[in-house]
Amino acid sequence: MSGDTPEPNDPIQMPTRRRALMLGAAGVATVVSVRPALAQTAGSVLNCEIPVPGPHGTGMNIDATGNLVAPDTPGSFVATGQKFSGEEVKRALSGQTLPGTTYEQSQAYVNYIRRLQAGQSGFTCFASLQMPR
Amino acid sequence: MADPKTLYQAEPADARIVEPLDMMTLIYQRRSGITHMVGEPVPQMLEAMGEDAVDAATLAARLAVSFDLGGQDDAVTLITERLEELAELGLVERVTDA
Repeated sequence: MSGDTPEPNDPIQMPTRRRALMLGAAGVATVVSVRPALAQTAGSVLNCEIPVPGPHGTGMNIDATGNLVAPDTPGSFVATGQKFSGEEVKRALSGQTLPGTTYEQSQAYVNYIRRLQAGQSGFTCFASLQMPR
Repeated sequence: MADPKTLYQAEPADARIVEPLDMMTLIYQRRSGITHMVGEPVPQMLEAMGEDAVDAATLAARLAVSFDLGGQDDAVTLITERLEELAELGLVERVTDA
């Protein structure tokens, strides 16, 4: 890149010579971005989050089959919008329980997550968990 | 054309993970989950901005302390363009004057 970078151990050049900084030509983009919907990277899957429930279900409970139900529905589980990481959900899909939940509660939450649709919070994260690696 | 007087503020440093990779730098943005592959001068600009709201001229002056911007008379114009790109990506925010 820049050939005039002073040697780090050269005491004479250090104070006076500064490295040239390329500011980029006009109109040339300097950035390429990888978006999580496209990136099947471990990073995006591990770090994305799924709220249970998302904003569309605030104040509602989740029944055993994963449906949003009224808060007083017998047999339903309270859901506070707690966020689970992609990695936690992935483990739950393979049989473990979600952190801080009972077995039945975790099953209900996972069923809720399975029912997420495009546009609902957490859907993209869940979808990316399903992508083949 | 962006107004060179616009103030820009970078996201807090803990909102991203920066990983230098030889000629390029990867910036993972926690908020969006997007990874940006950036080249010079983006990492240097973000570092020079710190957490302050700066305009392009201020940022040019800061960069000139550490780097040779020589021969790039339009440094402020170019930095404004880069800041606009970064604002589109969400790595910096345009700060509107009250």
